[in-house]
Amino acid sequence: MDFKVLGANLGLEESEFIELVELFVSTAKQDLQKLTTAYQSRDFEAVAESAHSLKGSSGNLGFMELSALSKKAEDKGKVNDLSGFAEIIDSMSQQIGKIKECLEQSI
Amino acid sequence: MKIADQSLQILIVDDNPLNLKLLETTLSKDGYKVLSAGNGPVAREMAVAEKPDLILLDIKMPGEDGFQVIRQLKKNLATTAIPVIFLTGVSDMDTKLQGFELGAVDYIIKPFHPREVLARVRLHLKLSIATNSLIASQANKLKQITEAQTSMLVTPEMYPRAQFGVYYSALNEAGGDFYEVRQISDDIFGYFVADFSGHDIKTSFLTVSIKALLQQNSAPVYQAHESMQMINDVLVEILPEGKYLTACYARLNRKTKQMTIVNAGHPPGIFVPSEGSATRIDMKGDILGIFKEVYFGSHTIDVNPGDRFYLYSDGLIESSEEKIVWSAGSNKLVAACEDAKSFPIQEAPKEIVRKLFNENVSIHDDIVLLGIEV
Repeated sequence: MDFKVLGANLGLEESEFIELVELFVSTAKQDLQKLTTAYQSRDFEAVAESAHSLKGSSGNLGFMELSALSKKAEDKGKVNDLSGFAEIIDSMSQQIGKIKECLEQSI
Repeated sequence: MKIADQSLQILIVDDNPLNLKLLETTLSKDGYKVLSAGNGPVAREMAVAEKPDLILLDIKMPGEDGFQVIRQLKKNLATTAIPVIFLTGVSDMDTKLQGFELGAVDYIIKPFHPREVLARVRLHLKLSIATNSLIASQANKLKQITEAQTSMLVTPEMYPRAQFGVYYSALNEAGGDFYEVRQISDDIFGYFVADFSGHDIKTSFLTVSIKALLQQNSAPVYQAHESMQMINDVLVEILPEGKYLTACYARLNRKTKQMTIVNAGHPPGIFVPSEGSATRIDMKGDILGIFKEVYFGSHTIDVNPGDRFYLYSDGLIESSEEKIVWSAGSNKLVAACEDAKSFPIQEAPKEIVRKLFNENVSIHDDIVLLGIEV
């Protein structure tokens, strides 16, 4: 994960991109928390909604793995099928962790 | 002196703080003033109070959604003419059509690429300028020309942030050479040097028109070559037969550290990097004011603080008593620009002219030399 390259893809300096990633990590954690709560209470609509938000923000910054996982979660929420959902949340959490790690090394 | 700021203002409305921040960074880098709102009611209040030139509006928001916001904006006379582009994560036809029916001018699908956003924003601002404000701009034209007449040539003191120096000498009061420096936004400046095909009162009068045209056509939405294109379109209509001008226009963005130079049949600009040697920026380009279909050379250079550019008229390299031909004069000029590195930019042009002309040599043409420091 090269922040310089990801930033350049968006026409941004590395420092500008890092600022966005900082904001992203904090909002992504909140979204993941919402997603987990929604999953636990089997609120399908809330599942789709929080996954949708994560899909967009991660996709915009070029974190494609997380964006793909979020899409999977959103799709599952839309068809009221939460089988294997705990694993998806797990993978998403790992991806956010990776981004956070990379961020801490960049600062 | 108050400097006319041509910044265009864009209101972004999105409940996602990350999207807001990404759009804000992208748009402000390109010279726009950005207002941000996290929800519909705040956005509507800002739109009424600030009258932005364009609104980027997220559809899916908690509470008042984007559709409701557009509906309200269009109902209100104060905001009805502001173009709205909506942002949507959904690409289904119904959503798009509903947006258009409510009066949006375009949509952008999320996740969006910042460059796509910039391209669409530019397009719609241009359309908006062309359609909505045509009447206003025509009415302003006369006023601008009157204002321009009172201050024909700008001085470095008027625009300290433009960081330029100039040597200007006209054979008579109605000189055929002309230069102009414009502040386009906080970090973007335009520098213009031109030479008319003759020297007489009419020419001097035309420089006033050029100044007004530059003012009208150098907004941040226009790329440098687009500004020249539009100025040419008007000049073709208003110049007397046989009259034309050559010009060089440089647009410097200190934020993105890029300088774009457009050449319209003018002697090539000179680039003096703070490290490295000076070079001519050779480009082909048609003259202004004769042909409707024109090609202007355009060249963008990545620059660093301390780098310098020089724009000048041909009098500087052709008119000494030594009957110097263009190519030899040009090489001398490149060397003189290089040698002037140690002088502050405000003094460098004078120093270069002193080097090129012995003081006792009389000057047979108008001369303008404009030096710019990044």
